[in-house]
Amino acid sequence: MSYSAAFKDHLAHPRNAGELPEASVVVEENNPVCGDRLRLSLVVRDERIEAARYLAYGCPPTLVCGSVLTELITGKMISEVRDLTRADLLEAVGGLPSRKHHAAALAIETLNAAVSQLP
Amino acid sequence: MQERRIYLDHSATTPVDRRVAEAMARAVVQVFGNPSSVHGYGQQARAAVDRARREVAALINARPNEIIFTSGGTEANNLAIRGVCETSIAQGQHIVTSAIEHPSVRGVCAALEQRGWEVTRLPVYENGIVRVEDVREAIRADTVLVTVMLANNEIGTIQPIAEIGALVRERRAAGQRHLFLHTDAVQAAGRMALNVEELGCDLLTTSAHKLYAPKGVGALYVRRGVRLTGQNIGGHQERERRAGTENVPGIVAFGEAAKLAREELHERTTHDSSLRDSFEQKVIELIPEVVMNGDRKQRLLHLSNISFRYIEGEGLLINLDLQGVAVSTGSACSSGTLEPSPVIRALGVTDEIARGSIRFSFGKDNTDSDVDYAVEVLVQAVERLRTLSPLNRPLAVS
Repeated sequence: MSYSAAFKDHLAHPRNAGELPEASVVVEENNPVCGDRLRLSLVVRDERIEAARYLAYGCPPTLVCGSVLTELITGKMISEVRDLTRADLLEAVGGLPSRKHHAAALAIETLNAAVSQLP
Repeated sequence: MQERRIYLDHSATTPVDRRVAEAMARAVVQVFGNPSSVHGYGQQARAAVDRARREVAALINARPNEIIFTSGGTEANNLAIRGVCETSIAQGQHIVTSAIEHPSVRGVCAALEQRGWEVTRLPVYENGIVRVEDVREAIRADTVLVTVMLANNEIGTIQPIAEIGALVRERRAAGQRHLFLHTDAVQAAGRMALNVEELGCDLLTTSAHKLYAPKGVGALYVRRGVRLTGQNIGGHQERERRAGTENVPGIVAFGEAAKLAREELHERTTHDSSLRDSFEQKVIELIPEVVMNGDRKQRLLHLSNISFRYIEGEGLLINLDLQGVAVSTGSACSSGTLEPSPVIRALGVTDEIARGSIRFSFGKDNTDSDVDYAVEVLVQAVERLRTLSPLNRPLAVS
């Protein structure tokens, strides 16, 4: 197993786990093939993400990508997070084996779904 | 940083016993001859291989000349199934097997199926055990091989091989002379008493590295009189059934490991089952919503397979590994596709239960303290992953 130190740290100490009772939007996306799930809750005020929480079910990269995603987007403007890519997420987790890239794809897909559903 | 490391994956492989390593090291240095050579060096190597053959035979109550050394369990399974099927093709092209075989049996059966063979895969029901009446119904006039494992590698359930053996003998006595029974005993060897006469099998697979010996050596028991087409061609070794210069140091190690496994069987199984039972009791006490997979009685004594609801096995495995505890899961997520363990799925459980299954397998060097530590980190890891899981929290519709 050749996961990065950042990956292991997020796995052992997940950031921003949970849900937000006052969320502006809550979305849950899943990978229909492997069954991985990611739920993202955001509090957005004045086009800025004030808080982000996630819940995840699936293989370790899915759990870690949820954690890393919430760190990357908290405090950011919506216009900024729209540009976030799978590659950005992969870089932030310190890389993933190619067979696990779908975890980063699910995280970005969930983010995009949340942003598109904002009131 | 966590320093402690605990190995609870003895069904995957075992650490090499010091006594086995010493025997192997002596063979590497002192017994370098080719067993096929006529001179003294060769004869010394031949004698070492024959000694090991006697020990492996003794482990399963076979005759030494019924043992064929191979490169491992997978090769032995390939040789058994392909070897019997190729020999018996004129008598029929039907195989009976179970839904929970090791990939080295499952894969060979699937490959034969692609070449026109018919394969009947027997269900195992929720207890993970094949029913003898299903075997009886599945055997046809053109069946040439029944291959059912002795003990399962993921859930440890012990299959009724002696009863199946009696059934096969009955059919043979009634005139179906080309019907044979093979059993993959890789997980069972060294963990329960084995006697090929009582089992009534015609072929039986074992592997050295499950017995505290190194990887790279296995053995196939072939009952005297059973005809088998060799799969490795190009030499007279192993009575023409497996060509290739013998792995003398590996075979010597296997022999020593088999001897120790036979002599220490009671001590080892008592030790392993005590740790396993204590572990399971603590898990049930401390962790809610767990599912014990497979029959609770008819199973190997060193192994426990547990599904933890709402979480996925690989995530739990890596979390435990980060805390120094090594375990296994049968499910694997790769390239966005999930392969839930076919064994756990065969029990008729949901995908979630199949994905959340973890195998803990204990060994002779584990201690009570290992169990306590493993339970401690397991409780924490399950709690952490359940905190993350959306499965036990319905999504509020806005």
